[in-house]
Amino acid sequence: MTTTLANRRRPARAGGPEKGRPTRRGGSTSSRPGFVWALPATIFFGLFALVPLVAVAVLSFTTWSGLGDPKFVGLKNWEALFEDPVMLQSLWLSLLFIALGIITQTPLSILLGVWAAGNQKNRAILSAIYFVPLLLSSAAISVLWRALLDPNFGLPGQLSWLFGDGNVLGTQTGAIAVLIFVGMWQFTPFHTLIYQGAARQIPPVLYQAASIDGAGTVRQFFSITLPQLKNSIITSVILMVVGGLTTFETVLILTNGGPGTGTTITAFHMYQEAFRRFDFGTGSAIALVLVVISTAISFAVVRVSGYDKMRSSMEGL
Amino acid sequence: MNNHGWVARTIAGGAALALGLTMAGCSGGSGASSRPENELHVAMYGDAGNVVEQKMIDAFNATSEVKIVLDKIPGAEYQSKLQTIMDTPTAPDIFFNWGGGSIKSFVDADLVLPLDDFIKEDPQLKDAFLPSVFETAVIDGKSYGVPMRGTQPVMLFNNSKVLADAGISNPPATWEELLEDVKILKDKGITPIALGAGDRWPTLMWFEYLYDRVAGEGLFQKALEGDSSVWESEESRKALGMLRELVDAGAFGTNFDSVKFTDGGSPALLASGKAGFELMGSWEYSTQQSNDAAFAADVLGYSEFPKIEGGKGDEDNLVGNTNNFYSIHKNTRYPEAARDFLKLMYSDQFVQEQVAIGNLPTTTNTEKFLDKAADPEYAKYQFSLVKEAPSFQLSWDQAYPPEATVTILTAVSQFFSGQIDEDGFIKAMQSL
Repeated sequence: MTTTLANRRRPARAGGPEKGRPTRRGGSTSSRPGFVWALPATIFFGLFALVPLVAVAVLSFTTWSGLGDPKFVGLKNWEALFEDPVMLQSLWLSLLFIALGIITQTPLSILLGVWAAGNQKNRAILSAIYFVPLLLSSAAISVLWRALLDPNFGLPGQLSWLFGDGNVLGTQTGAIAVLIFVGMWQFTPFHTLIYQGAARQIPPVLYQAASIDGAGTVRQFFSITLPQLKNSIITSVILMVVGGLTTFETVLILTNGGPGTGTTITAFHMYQEAFRRFDFGTGSAIALVLVVISTAISFAVVRVSGYDKMRSSMEGL
Repeated sequence: MNNHGWVARTIAGGAALALGLTMAGCSGGSGASSRPENELHVAMYGDAGNVVEQKMIDAFNATSEVKIVLDKIPGAEYQSKLQTIMDTPTAPDIFFNWGGGSIKSFVDADLVLPLDDFIKEDPQLKDAFLPSVFETAVIDGKSYGVPMRGTQPVMLFNNSKVLADAGISNPPATWEELLEDVKILKDKGITPIALGAGDRWPTLMWFEYLYDRVAGEGLFQKALEGDSSVWESEESRKALGMLRELVDAGAFGTNFDSVKFTDGGSPALLASGKAGFELMGSWEYSTQQSNDAAFAADVLGYSEFPKIEGGKGDEDNLVGNTNNFYSIHKNTRYPEAARDFLKLMYSDQFVQEQVAIGNLPTTTNTEKFLDKAADPEYAKYQFSLVKEAPSFQLSWDQAYPPEATVTILTAVSQFFSGQIDEDGFIKAMQSL
C-alpha cells in the first residue's frame, strides 16, 4: 500500500509545490453528495453534543441538587469557582498532567512506532503483545495497578530500595508519578500505532538517497523520519492534550483525587462537585471551563503548527 | 481509547444532563399514575447480602397482587444514583438508606412518605425495633424509615496471636493502654494499627470515637444542628491533639495513605500478622471470614473502643452505622403494599435469614435467634454492645447530607497525613 501509493503519485511532481494537490478537484463535483447526506451526523452531533452543551451552560447559572427544579442564581457559581483554591490548583495539575504525559509518551511512542514500522523478524509478535494495554479498559488497568502498588503486599513491599516505605500513593509526588506512569503504560500503544502508520508512509527512496549521501541510522532518524512525522506528532499531541484534560477514571480509582486534593485534576473536580456534592451548577461551570480550555488549546496547537493548512509533508505531494 | 473516550464521555455526560433536565421538567406533572401497574420497585445497595432481600421479596410476592422488583445498584455509586433518580418518574417506590443525612435532603424536597400514620395503625412498625436505632430515621419528629439488614457498630479488632506474641494479654481498655500497646508493637517491627486511609472513611472512624469519648455525643449533635463554634472548643482541640499524638507515635505506620480497606489491603495486614489492631465496622468479621474462616473464628479478636480518662462521653457509647433503613417514596402508587412489605422487616423469617449471613438486625426479637448466628458468640457480643450503648452515633459522613461528605473525608485524611493542622481541620469542619 505504502509503496504503490507513493509510486502512483510520483508523476504529479512535475506540477511544482504551489500547485499542491492536483487530484482533489476535477469532474467529480457533480456527483458529490448533498447536505442531506450529512444530516444523520449533524442531527446526532446536535442532539448529543450541542444541546447538552447549551444545557450545561444554562445549568452553570443555576443551583441544582438533582431534586426539584434548578434555581437561577446568576453568576454565583462562577464567582465561587474563581475563588475556589481547589479549582485553581486542579487547572495547574491538569496542565502538569498533560505536559508530563506528552513528555513521557511522545518520545517513547515515536521510537516504538518507527521500530514497529520496520520489517524485523519478531516485530509483528512483539508489537501485538505490546498493544495489549490498549485493549484493556481504563477501570481494569487502574484496579490492576492499584493492587500491584499495595505497599505491603504489592511491588513496593518487595522493592523497598525503589519505593522506600511504600507510601507511593500517599505523597503528592508519588501519586502524580503513578498516574503519569499508568497513563504512559496505557496510552503509549495507541500513539505508537499512529506513529507506526505514519512511519510506514515515509517513502523508502528518501532513506535510500540519504544512505547514498552517507547518512547513518541516527542521522536518518533526525533528518528524515522526525520531519516526516510532523503532522502525526501534532495529531498525537492534540489527542494527548484533550485526553489529558478529561482523564478521570484512573484518578478516581487509583488516587481518588488524593492525597488530600493532591491529584484532584479538573475533570475529577467536576465529577466530585456534580456527583458527590450534588452541586450540578458548579459541576456544569467546571465542565464549561474544560470545554473552553480544551477548545482553545486545540486551536492554538493547530494554528501554531500550521496543521490547519493541511500541507502534506510527504515527498512529492 | 481515552483520547476517543472524551467524545463519548462528553456525549454521554451531556445526554445524561439533558435527560436529567427533561426529567426534572416532567417531574412536576408526574404522579403515581405514570408508574407501572401492580409493580413496586425497591432500590437496593448491591452486594452479597442481596440474597436475603430477594428472599423476602419472593415471600412477599407469593401472596401479593402487587409484585415487588429488586433493583440492585452497585454499592459505591448507590447514593449518587439514588440522588439522580429520586425526583424523576423512574424513582424507586421503596429505597435503601442509612437514615439521618442520607435522607434529609429527600425529606426536605418532600419526596419521602412519613410513616407515622402506618405506625398508628400498627405500632409494631416502630416498637419492634430498638429505640436508639429507630431514632436515626426520625427527622423533625416524623418517622421516615424502618430498620432493615443489621446494625454495624465500629469496634477495635485485633490479631490475638500477634498480641500474645508481643506479651499483650488483653485488648486495651484505656487510651493509655492503647498507646503502650502501640509502642510495644512498633518496637517489634509490627505496624501497630492497620488503617486503610486510602478509602478515607476508615480514618474518619478514629475521629468519631475520639470526639465521642472526649467531648461526649453532644458536641457532634450541636455541630450537626449548625453550631459550628463547637469545633473550636477545648474538647475538640483535645481530641485532635490526641489523634495527632497517636499518628506521631507511629500507630499506623508511615504508608497508611496507600492502603485501602476496600481492596483487601488493611484486612490482609491484620490477618497476616503484619498489624496488631484495626478499627473497623462489624463487617470486618465477615470480610475476614470470607478470606479465611479459621482466622475469623480462632485468631480475630474484638473489643470496645478504649475509654478515655476525664472524657465526657460514656465508655459504652458506640459509633458506626446504626442500621440500614427502607423508606417509601411519596409518589408511590401502592403505599399500602409498600407498608405491608416493610412489616416483613420485623418478622421472624427476616431476622433468621439476616442472622444466618452474619448481619445483626435490631428488632426486639433478634435475641431469640442469636444462637443460630454464623458465630453466636460474636453476634451476642455485638448485640449487647448495641443494646446497652447510651448513645450510638451515626457515622459523620452519613449523619451529614451527602454534599458534606467530600469535605469531611478530605479533612480527616489531610489531618492524618499532616497536610493540615488542628486549625485547618477546624476550619474545614466549620465550612460545612
